[in-house]
Amino acid sequence: MASVSLSGIVKRFDRTVVVHGIDLDIADGEFVVLVGPSGCGKSTTLRMIAGLEDLTAGQIRIGERVVDRLEPKDRNIAMVFQNYAIYPHMTVRKNIAFGLRMAKLPKPEEDRRVREAAEILGLVDLLERRPSQLSGGQRQRVAIGRAMVRNPAVFLFDEPLSNLDAQLRAQMRLEIKKLHQTLGTTVVYVTHDQVEAMTLADRIVVMRDGRIEQVGAPTELYRRPASMFVARFIGSPSMNMIPGVIAEGVGAVGLDGVGTVSGLGELENASAGRRVFLGVRPDDLRVATEAGGGPLSLEARVGVIEPLGPETLVYAEVGGRELVAKADGRISLRRGDVVRLVADVDELHVFDAETEVVLRR
Amino acid sequence: MRAWYHARTVGQKQAVWAWIFLALPLFFFIAIRLFPTGYTTYVSLTDWNLLRPKNFIGAANYLRLWNDPIFWQVFWNTFKYLLIGMPISLVLSFLVAYYLDQVRFLQGTIRALYFIPFLTTAAAMAWVWRWFYQPVPIGIFNLILVDLGFSQQPFLRSTSQALGSILAPAIWAGLGFQVVIFLAGLRAIPETYYEAARIDGVGRWTILKEITLPLLRPTILFLVVVSSIGFLRIFDKVYNMTVDGKGGPLNTTRPLVLNIYQLAFTDYRMGYAAAQTMVLFLVLLAVTVVQLRALRTK
Repeated sequence: MASVSLSGIVKRFDRTVVVHGIDLDIADGEFVVLVGPSGCGKSTTLRMIAGLEDLTAGQIRIGERVVDRLEPKDRNIAMVFQNYAIYPHMTVRKNIAFGLRMAKLPKPEEDRRVREAAEILGLVDLLERRPSQLSGGQRQRVAIGRAMVRNPAVFLFDEPLSNLDAQLRAQMRLEIKKLHQTLGTTVVYVTHDQVEAMTLADRIVVMRDGRIEQVGAPTELYRRPASMFVARFIGSPSMNMIPGVIAEGVGAVGLDGVGTVSGLGELENASAGRRVFLGVRPDDLRVATEAGGGPLSLEARVGVIEPLGPETLVYAEVGGRELVAKADGRISLRRGDVVRLVADVDELHVFDAETEVVLRR
Repeated sequence: MRAWYHARTVGQKQAVWAWIFLALPLFFFIAIRLFPTGYTTYVSLTDWNLLRPKNFIGAANYLRLWNDPIFWQVFWNTFKYLLIGMPISLVLSFLVAYYLDQVRFLQGTIRALYFIPFLTTAAAMAWVWRWFYQPVPIGIFNLILVDLGFSQQPFLRSTSQALGSILAPAIWAGLGFQVVIFLAGLRAIPETYYEAARIDGVGRWTILKEITLPLLRPTILFLVVVSSIGFLRIFDKVYNMTVDGKGGPLNTTRPLVLNIYQLAFTDYRMGYAAAQTMVLFLVLLAVTVVQLRALRTK
């Protein structure tokens, strides 16, 4: 087990800079998820930790050792790939033991480790099968087993669940989390799926265009996004953004064509007249049928309704703009109904329209 | 007709169209492959010489063949082409493809250079090589040997060197095709297999032996079959590189196909030639079946 520390790592392919100087400290035993849209540099960062890509600049430490110049095999890491990378011509047993054979372990020790991993992953009955006889989830388990038997200090996962269907993905997600709780090994996990990031991570690192946008615990990122990008990326459906302008007086924002919100308190370096976005999550935007006051109270016309069972997503038009609200599943609404969308002051976010940085914490 | 067609189910309509489209290739297959095969079988049981009518003589041609020392020599020559040519060409083309796959610089150009001989007319190439093998001052190989202080070699005029001298251009000409097929096979192996192996610390040799070669099995199978058939049917190089196209000296380079050609179109012994053709057909069939069995994935 070990901590991982990245300082100022840069990756350039020819002229394109893919990773712009990332600093990140991962504690021993921590589960860290790198998340972001495709092309944000998350996979490249992971591959640099693995040693599959060279660093252009910066330094990587695993435990106390600087590893940037070490071969992948000498870094004491194991990696699980998106397409599993298990060999079709070998049995499950051979696949799991393949890396061990190179370590020249005594045969009984090798068998013991394979057995142990197979038991934890529920692969005991499948050891003599070939990958073609396995389901996607089982294949992914074999790939994890191959990583496990090496007793690495750090597990690296590169979008391991992307090739699975939704149901299996949820199941494997749970298994990976359990596995981490059992083994307690440091994990660096890359995904583009914010749900995976939220559910698995001790800490999430949101990346964008080769830079870290925000680092924090899942609830922190959800509750206190530092930028519009993070606010939109984390949470589903995305946060509603209503354009507006900072009004005279403390904590007031004039929303374009909808009215004014007040009582927002101190806004950071906000001068009257500055363009902003008021953000509110669908979960925090309640549907009220009677007129009522509140810091945010908007009259809306119901458009599309998506019943999800326990709750219903209501797409409603406010001043020519569509907002999404989450309502109780038992609500009865119809297209064209006029409702009020209400939110508490604590759930409102204000972002600078130009820098996209949050102005209210 | 129209009414009949409209009354069919979708599946039946598709079958009708499938047969319509298959009719032409099927006709050619029967007229150009299947019928001649049957006809050859019949001719091989006659003493036909183009002039007199075909007399049925039973297995006499096959008996004569069994007792013909030239047939056995030619038969053995054919297998020499196969047993020497096929492994050498496969190993060479794999080595070229394996290293070429790791080269990014000018890869397309190098690949094209290997492929050009495959596109060249066999007869022209054979004659150029025949020239290369001439004595000083014409042949380039002997010029090089003499320059380096070695004695001249007879090459095509020697009973021991001629077969190898003909094999060399044959292997060279087929190399480009095999390299391209091997490259395609190598490309089809996902990069992550190698990355996973790198993380596990697997050595180059083990990766080659345990990952690359097993995953190339279908490619290797295809090339073994195709190149075996190619060497068993060798003709044009021998015909163009030996005196009067006779497969000399002393029949040491004459393959079965050339022997059949000589019997049929120089000696007009159609029945006997047909009998040898049947033997070649059975050999090709056997070799292909054995190889498909041996290399079939479990």
